[in-house]
Amino acid sequence: MSPSALNGEAAVGPEGPRQKSKATVDTLGVGCIAMVEKNGQARRAEILSIKDTKSGRQFYCNFDNFNKRLDEWVPAKRIDFDHDVEWPNPDKDKQKDSKGKNATVSKKKAPPSKAQKRPGKREQSVASESVTPHTWPEVSDTQPPSKAPSTPRDLEQKSAGTPAIGGDEMDVDEDDQAPEVKKEIEFSREAEIEKLRTGGSMTQNPTELARIRNISKVQFGQFDLFPWYFSPYPESFTQEDVIFICEFCLSYYGDKKSFTRHRQKCTLQHPPGNEIYRDDYVSFFEIDGRRQRTWCRNLCLLSKMFLDHKTLYYDVDPFLFYVMTQKTEKGHHLVGYFSKEKESADNYNVACILTLPQYQRKGFGRLLIQFSYELSKIEGKLGSPEKPLSDLGLLSYRQYWSENIIDLLLELNDREEKSSIESISTSLAMTTQDVEHTLQALKMQVYHKGEHKLVLPESMIQQREKAKSKKKRYISPENIQWKPPIFTASSRTWGW
Amino acid sequence: MTTRKVRYKKLNIKTPLPVLREHQIDANEYESLTTESQIVTGVEQGEENEYHLQAALKGVGASVDNEIPVPPPQKSVEADYDELYPTPYVEPRNYIKSSDTVEETLKGSLYDMTTEDDEFLKNYNAKRPGSAHLSEHDFERIMEIFEDTAAESAPYAEVDNTFVPYELMSQAISHHIREKSVQGHAKTIYEYWRGCRQVTGNKSLHPSLKFETHQEHDDMDPYVCFRRREVRQTRKTRARDVQVADKLKKLRRELEDGRQLVVFAHRREVLKREMLKTDKLVYEQRAKLKETKIRLNIKTDDDDLVNTKPQKRPKTEPQQPPRPTPHNQLRLAVRPDGGRSMEPVELTLLRDKQSERQLELLNNIELRVQDHRRWNANYIDLTADPLPPVKEEQEQNFRPAKTTYLMTPPASASDSMEVDETPPAPEKSIEPFVFKATSLEDSDEEEMPSFRRRVGRLGRLFIDRRPGKLRTGLSSPSRESSLLQSDRWKYDDDDDDDEPPVYKIDTNSLRQMKFRSTIPLPTSLVRRPGLDIAQLQAANRPVALPQGQALLQAAQAQAQAKAQALAAQGPSTQVPLVQPTMAQQPPSVQPP
Repeated sequence: MSPSALNGEAAVGPEGPRQKSKATVDTLGVGCIAMVEKNGQARRAEILSIKDTKSGRQFYCNFDNFNKRLDEWVPAKRIDFDHDVEWPNPDKDKQKDSKGKNATVSKKKAPPSKAQKRPGKREQSVASESVTPHTWPEVSDTQPPSKAPSTPRDLEQKSAGTPAIGGDEMDVDEDDQAPEVKKEIEFSREAEIEKLRTGGSMTQNPTELARIRNISKVQFGQFDLFPWYFSPYPESFTQEDVIFICEFCLSYYGDKKSFTRHRQKCTLQHPPGNEIYRDDYVSFFEIDGRRQRTWCRNLCLLSKMFLDHKTLYYDVDPFLFYVMTQKTEKGHHLVGYFSKEKESADNYNVACILTLPQYQRKGFGRLLIQFSYELSKIEGKLGSPEKPLSDLGLLSYRQYWSENIIDLLLELNDREEKSSIESISTSLAMTTQDVEHTLQALKMQVYHKGEHKLVLPESMIQQREKAKSKKKRYISPENIQWKPPIFTASSRTWGW
Repeated sequence: MTTRKVRYKKLNIKTPLPVLREHQIDANEYESLTTESQIVTGVEQGEENEYHLQAALKGVGASVDNEIPVPPPQKSVEADYDELYPTPYVEPRNYIKSSDTVEETLKGSLYDMTTEDDEFLKNYNAKRPGSAHLSEHDFERIMEIFEDTAAESAPYAEVDNTFVPYELMSQAISHHIREKSVQGHAKTIYEYWRGCRQVTGNKSLHPSLKFETHQEHDDMDPYVCFRRREVRQTRKTRARDVQVADKLKKLRRELEDGRQLVVFAHRREVLKREMLKTDKLVYEQRAKLKETKIRLNIKTDDDDLVNTKPQKRPKTEPQQPPRPTPHNQLRLAVRPDGGRSMEPVELTLLRDKQSERQLELLNNIELRVQDHRRWNANYIDLTADPLPPVKEEQEQNFRPAKTTYLMTPPASASDSMEVDETPPAPEKSIEPFVFKATSLEDSDEEEMPSFRRRVGRLGRLFIDRRPGKLRTGLSSPSRESSLLQSDRWKYDDDDDDDEPPVYKIDTNSLRQMKFRSTIPLPTSLVRRPGLDIAQLQAANRPVALPQGQALLQAAQAQAQAKAQALAAQGPSTQVPLVQPTMAQQPPSVQPP
């Protein structure tokens, strides 16, 4: 939140003093940090990969404080070679490596009893698709905001220093299970695996494949999509200029002929599940990950291209997929979806949520979010999305939360009624934490004359009225034909 | 911010908060109240500070919308959408219900031919006459069988580089594909398939996802996906083992039972078949016999030619006993096989048996009645509600009240109605005996007061007492009725008068004196106001004297019972308490 972040504080690459000197196209290597032109401005960027093409050498750059989806292959002419290049520090890295080893060793010593005490905790976190290793309210309190925390050493220190934070337990468990992992070879191997397992996104190891987008273009229905992140499609697809994905069964093809042949045989025209909602704008389908394994795997592979923190480490069986479609004369077209654990230990009502890029910024995300809360209302539960949220996810959710809370508070204000956080939470099926955080983010919760008050800022009200005049679409709860599915213990364990 | 340090009360989520608009609070104050606190976002720490996100978050509430830039999608130019997706969609009226998997909805083989395949097939077909062309569809079918068979019989082909020989493949082909014309292509296609597999390192030709093979190598590989989850191990306990063993045993038993059923059913059917065979044989033999008879002109009755049913007699006999008695006469008449010699003997026997039985029953009842009488001799049931509800015999001159709905009001009053309503004269033989202890009125003969000692629950000692009846002709009304009467009026006061009810008792009346004489002499009663001790003693003496010993015992027992505060339960102790109610006698129940 610090203003310095906006000015582009160094957050790329390992921390610490580095050798700086001039470089050439040929000497510039993986791990170097150079000034690269992005949108007309020079920006610090880490070189993650290098490839030679017919038009010359290209560098895959990750820009300072830009989301990974903006990473790109850059020709040499966009790199400022007049500026000093920061070289990767082999000594430093080695030192850090040993430090990492020490950290894990000390970790191992300290809390194993704790890990043994709570074996159930691990099961729970494993069961979620993209669970956060840390409990997020604590982190922001303990971490000074001014510090750029994305450097590997920082994370190492964090995990070594504060073993109370939830994520480390999983690390520790991993250590207990496989103590023979070759640490000297890998750069904090366990932490990376853990990242992959729980977060989906690789940030630590500079040589990791998963940091680099592996598919350049996807033909999907009527659209060409440009993936944002790595997705574990068959490795041979990396060589293809474009891959083809069937709009209805989501099967993937690297070969055009194969794809056309497939299209002649594919008879699906809607997601392979039961329709649980229909209005004149969108439909929702409920799909069981166990029953429709192929389809759901395909969906996950597709969505991984646009969700950094989605993990495909585990199979799709324990999830239900709620798929939003729009109907044309060709069939039901996939617009977006959210997945939901069949049984969430943390009462999450959404695991992953995505609007496909061709439908973004059209209000579909809000419909997805609203639908997830409508389901929670039917279940009689309070729900919250699984963390971490992506940047876009955070904005969408903040938007939905604030809209609903402001509408509710305006009504209460007209009637001059009081309201507690809890009553807001139950009437919107949101968790009380989400309500509180939203109120704080909107600066609506103030402490005045010895008591807490909720204040509706004029700017918010005006904005809300402006938005209302735009005629947005909403889910009509009465069109939902859905009963919360019940899974018996045996069906969860054995699939009976 | 630092100038105003207010110690915040922690916000309870249950506290109702006032909802205000901005202008309802002093503007200057409001400005300073909005604290610039760190708000939890839920975004990965490393990304929280990203430039575009921060810009967008700052922009909340502002008029300018800061959007996060993303690589934009675009309309596909190359692909002909309508060609790829030709089927028009018809929306069903109701919500769609579907459970077919992707594989199930595919119409055709799972193998999709590639561009190389296409080239090969085109070359292949070019060398052949039009009639012998191999269609894309059939090519895919053959390739699918090759791939499937290879995956089945050489699952580790990738590692050990084995190629499934053509012999095995041709078997699979002939098994799956009927058309001889298509089968003929298999050999050439096999060579092509083999070539393709060699190029790809004997992997499956379809590009496939990487699944887990070995934990050590897989963990770091981002391409390996959709791992199976660790199965949650159910805890092994002895109880669980036993449970499982029991389940298995039960299953074994049930299967065994099922098997037995089948075996027996089989045996039954075999027997049936044998019987049919035998019947057929008998029939044929008879036919022969008949022929022979006719031929030889033998004239006997044809008994040996038809099946006789000798088993009729024993069947009818066991039916007789359960028939109810009243139908005896009726059955005699109806009886179809009347002319048998045994019958009269049987009939009389039955009647005798039944009357005997009835007699036995009556005797038994009589016996029990006597037993009961003996058991209850010398005791009076004084309980408020005796277990068998005591119903006083309806007196004849009281007509039972009965509501009758008449179409027209009766012309004259009682005469005709009385005739109608007179109950039928009770049959002497079935006059019901009420099993109950003798009540006060019944025991006319008894003269002597009698006592019975009982040990109740919790070792309480009860003394039941039956006072000697004084033949004065003025019998007190039945205890039950008076008790019930008093209860009935208990809460029926019209006005809540505070003054206690006044019972007008003439202490010197014969009635009162007689009653008082029946009261024994507990110590607690001595101080009772309104009772003359001397008089009491005097009244009691003549009765008590002959059995001084017993009376003393009774007094002791009573004291003991009182001490336990349960005295009211004993029948004997109720006597003093009932006194006022006895005095208040509603005239309606008084016997004439």
